[in-house]
Amino acid sequence: MENVATHEDWKVCFAEAAPGLILFARQFVRSVADAEDIVQEAFVKFWRKQHPIANRALLFATVRSTALDLLRRDIRRARREADAFAEAEQSIAPPEFDARTESQQALAAAVDRLPAEQREVLVMKIWNELTFGEIAAVLGISQNTAASRYRYALAALKRNLISHG
Amino acid sequence: MDDFSELEAELKQLRPAAASTDLMARFECKLAEGAATRSGGVLPRRRERRVNWFGLGLGLAATAAFVMLARVNVDKPVPQQPALAVAPSAAPRIESTLPRTLVPDGVTRVVYNTRDEGLVFPRSSAEPVRRVRSRSRETLQWKDPGSGASLRVSYPTEETELIPISGQ
Repeated sequence: MENVATHEDWKVCFAEAAPGLILFARQFVRSVADAEDIVQEAFVKFWRKQHPIANRALLFATVRSTALDLLRRDIRRARREADAFAEAEQSIAPPEFDARTESQQALAAAVDRLPAEQREVLVMKIWNELTFGEIAAVLGISQNTAASRYRYALAALKRNLISHG
Repeated sequence: MDDFSELEAELKQLRPAAASTDLMARFECKLAEGAATRSGGVLPRRRERRVNWFGLGLGLAATAAFVMLARVNVDKPVPQQPALAVAPSAAPRIESTLPRTLVPDGVTRVVYNTRDEGLVFPRSSAEPVRRVRSRSRETLQWKDPGSGASLRVSYPTEETELIPISGQ
């Protein structure tokens, strides 16, 4: 898709990307409603700035910065932001998956128990199909770091499933 | 990574929940709002024309300063360089033409005072001598045959003459 997309193109893009973006935004906020607000605000920003639709890294970076802005608004200070991030990590509901079987529910719960920095990489990689280069661009880290976090997440999930299995 | 391929496949089968219909409606509403204020949201955004008063003032100040500096340069007197250049060229011409064009035209000697001071006995002579002092004015004259111009130099002279006397 090019930047000269029509409204219909943007709507289709939003409909396709929204579930993954909401899942990503849920890393930062407690409720689905907040996550949806973040995604909507970020997507509108993205559209208003006429960014290319295909630039997924920028789209996710916009969602992330919008979520952090929301956190700052709520928490007011950087120290509290870190505390809130940790608090959110413990208290947010499991990411909303369409889990139909028990094994899928266990897997969703295991994903929820991952450390935040591993979980966000996993969400971008598995459910949004971003490359490690794109993930690195979103998070401002190196590709190697992104790949390492991904491997650590998978290893942690495996351990978790075995121990809970 | 091969160890995780099965796990990755399971994770991919776990699909995120669909976005609410309300969210889609809100997004469409935002698009419509944006379209009302902008040209459809698909064309490059046209920049609004705003007068930048600070920039305008700065530009005017710079222009005024430039004009003032330009006037200062215009009002300056004509550089003295040409006069300085002419002066040295005139002097050599005079010097060089004098010897070429002026030729000696004559010399005059006018004695206007002669006085006999009597006998004197100089140490170097055994006989007395008469001393006569005369005052005169000598004039040297040069003339340019081509132009008729002349140059005259006049100066006073004094001459003392010792005239031996005979023992008659």
